[in-house]
Amino acid sequence: MQSANMLLRKVVRSSVLPFAAQHRMQKDLFPLSRTLSLSHCLKQDKSCEPSEKLDLDEWKKVMKSGMQEEVSEKVSEPEELSSLAAARETLEMWRLAGRAVPDHITEEQLKTFMECPSKSAKKKYLKYLHLKELHKKNDKRKMDEKRERRLQAQDQASKTGETKKNSLVCLWSSTMDKAYNWRAAQSMIFGQPLVFDMSYEKEMSVREVTNTVSQIVLSESCNRKSVDPFHIHFCNFKDGSLYHREFVKQYREAWGKLLITVTDQCYTEIFPKDKLIYLTADSPKVMKTFDHDKIYIVGSMVDKSIKTGVSLARAKRLGLETAALPLEKYLLWTTGAKNLTLDQMMHILLTLKDTADWKKALEFVPKRKYCGFVDKPVKELKKTLDLINTLKHGKGREEVQKQFAKSYPKKYKLK
Amino acid sequence: VQPPEKPLQAEEWNKLREAFRTPEIFEEVMLNSMIRCNSPIDVAKSLLTHVAKRNGDIAYHLLVKYLTLCVQQGQVSEIRDVYDIMKVRFKILESGAYNLLIKGLSNSDQWRMALTLLEEVKKIMVPPRTCYESCIKAASRHQEMKLAFELYDEMLANDVVPTLDVLQSFFDFSRGTKDAELQKELFGILLYLRENQIYPHRTFMRSIKLWFESIPGGNWRGRLINIKESGQCPVCNHQLEDSNLTEEEYSNLSERIIRDVIHGSDTFRKTSPQEFEAFQTFVENRLPFDIVIDGLNVSHMKTRKMQCENLFEAVNCLAKENARLLVLGRKHMLMNSSNWKREIMKEMQNKADFFFAENISEDDAFLLYATLRSGKHCKFVTRDFLRDHKACLPDSLTRHLFRKWQRGHQIAFSPAAEGRTIKFLPALRYDCVVQTTGDTWHIPYKDVFEEKYSYQVPRKWLCIQQKR
Repeated sequence: MQSANMLLRKVVRSSVLPFAAQHRMQKDLFPLSRTLSLSHCLKQDKSCEPSEKLDLDEWKKVMKSGMQEEVSEKVSEPEELSSLAAARETLEMWRLAGRAVPDHITEEQLKTFMECPSKSAKKKYLKYLHLKELHKKNDKRKMDEKRERRLQAQDQASKTGETKKNSLVCLWSSTMDKAYNWRAAQSMIFGQPLVFDMSYEKEMSVREVTNTVSQIVLSESCNRKSVDPFHIHFCNFKDGSLYHREFVKQYREAWGKLLITVTDQCYTEIFPKDKLIYLTADSPKVMKTFDHDKIYIVGSMVDKSIKTGVSLARAKRLGLETAALPLEKYLLWTTGAKNLTLDQMMHILLTLKDTADWKKALEFVPKRKYCGFVDKPVKELKKTLDLINTLKHGKGREEVQKQFAKSYPKKYKLK
Repeated sequence: VQPPEKPLQAEEWNKLREAFRTPEIFEEVMLNSMIRCNSPIDVAKSLLTHVAKRNGDIAYHLLVKYLTLCVQQGQVSEIRDVYDIMKVRFKILESGAYNLLIKGLSNSDQWRMALTLLEEVKKIMVPPRTCYESCIKAASRHQEMKLAFELYDEMLANDVVPTLDVLQSFFDFSRGTKDAELQKELFGILLYLRENQIYPHRTFMRSIKLWFESIPGGNWRGRLINIKESGQCPVCNHQLEDSNLTEEEYSNLSERIIRDVIHGSDTFRKTSPQEFEAFQTFVENRLPFDIVIDGLNVSHMKTRKMQCENLFEAVNCLAKENARLLVLGRKHMLMNSSNWKREIMKEMQNKADFFFAENISEDDAFLLYATLRSGKHCKFVTRDFLRDHKACLPDSLTRHLFRKWQRGHQIAFSPAAEGRTIKFLPALRYDCVVQTTGDTWHIPYKDVFEEKYSYQVPRKWLCIQQKR
């Protein structure tokens, strides 16, 4: 009912009305009438008399002419607005003012909007919804275009009358799924465990939990598709937690059929303590090699506000060994935090497990964060850089040096 | 795009529009550039007329843009017309339009209308600061000081923070007043500056001075001064307040530091419970200290020297007159290395107490705890501004306490002595806030051009004295 009202109000507000009023059109007609055609006629009328003197305040008359009608319209509306409707009204005005506001907003989103603690939080939330809407629209447009093309292609195929003949029934995706699941099942028995620590719900906002879960979903899928998957454990996983709800939302029915171990127990209860290594960017220790006998723990946490030391504190509390990826050692780091997303971690760990090649593994670090590879340990690099520099004779040398000095301690100063 | 100089006919606008790259946003872009060039409003009017004729309507954002232009040129009757149109067209307006309307009207003789508009804004949201400020300024310009202060109080009650500009306008427009009530309000503003540790800038300071001197029969006299290290005012010989906290404030602050800075959400983030307990017993057994030193911070002072030499020099420098020192460090300092020689470390341990934290613990938190535990006389040495620790405190009141305490208790290195021997700047002996004794006022102020960080305090003061 309310939405019908809204629609009516919009129609009333829309540009059609004043003209409809001016031209005394039947009210029932105006949803069908086109402003464009009307204005077109008008324009032609005007162009006949170019010598007419300009009336600067004419726009006011035009604006006011529609008013009488609208005033009467308004009286019939209930004067009091509920807080929800008021918020909707505000949003509408923001949209008219050209701010980043979504065109449609659900009741639930509106409530979230009203609960935002500050003006900037409100703005941010709306911008997020706005962008989401834009993406959705774009996706839909692309889908439609694709469908159009496919239909055309089909049309053409049917015209030429060709039919495909193939000895293999095309069942690619489901066969692949079966193969992947077979591997994952094997890893459940023989595979090396990899733990996701699900105990950070309190440290995160709802958005961050959502992001965490989608990162884990990505990690799980790339693990499943790998040659030799890990046996994934979700530890400290509470039923009915925010994590749980998000997983169900993302996986739907597949959540019950995943080939992973989900438990509310802590990893210290399942595995011997001396085998556990907690991976955290804050760790003072740097990982040298990937150990196939150890059990690595990854904290399932997205911290947009960079909370330092949260996972390190957890490892300290449990007395576990910690390690950080040797990012400094292999990459010439430029910008960005050293914490990586969960799916990047998974890619890196899988590659390490298969190849033990750091360079290959660290390919998965986002390119924007580093400017190049140190493909050998720093000492050797120094030699090669020296060689390159003597060959090049100084061109761009200073820049290299600056970069080098930023990333590495003085000991390795380039000569 | 360059806006035309004269109003155009519809077809002329049409031509321009068609020549434009993206005709859909032509009007918007054109109005924007009119605002930028401050074009005559007749030109804008002709554009709007053109739009109205073509579409039969003018979109809200275009109206707002036109309004901006009117406000910019102070076209009051136009502002009113636009308001009338908007009011009938839209049930409510958004804050941008209200802002413009209030700003435009408050500068005219129809300023009371801005007040009614403010009431309208209040119905849908907490009015933004600019709305309040326009209204307050308008009211005080017309000598309605009572009204202005009502609005000001309402603003504070809504947690809207006023700019210095508005506070200054109160002083500017109250010059020569005899009204005791009003005087009380203005003293209230000075106390607001004190409570929030705000320093007025030079022009604001001048307004304050002029206001004081203009009070009829007040015999106030203001002078600009520099205060010496002793904290005594050279004009009236008044001794400025020290930054000691009261007992209650003191215990409150130490409690908050332990709870929010050291423990925080998880004790393990900065230390561990065992370690903190060990540190507590260590400190309790050796209380009280006179100076607590952040060993690692001090050791980095001169990059050319060995780290332990730096520390050694600092300890020697501070160890005069039987002062009891505590040096905080980390365990790795005990390992004999190129930077940390065992013999020197041994020698230092005879002169001061040392506590070594784990290598991954944060020693700053211990520094704060040990200093606070030792009592009011105890100072601490570090170059760190401790901003991250201040940020751990959840409310502004405690943060103010912390800043006040820090000002009076932090010993920093003297920047001039960076080269040769180590020298220290003693902690400030007086507190740098607006202060009064009834017949004197001392107000620290900053030069507008001087950059000021939260840890820097102004050195210049305004001394106001009442001659009897």
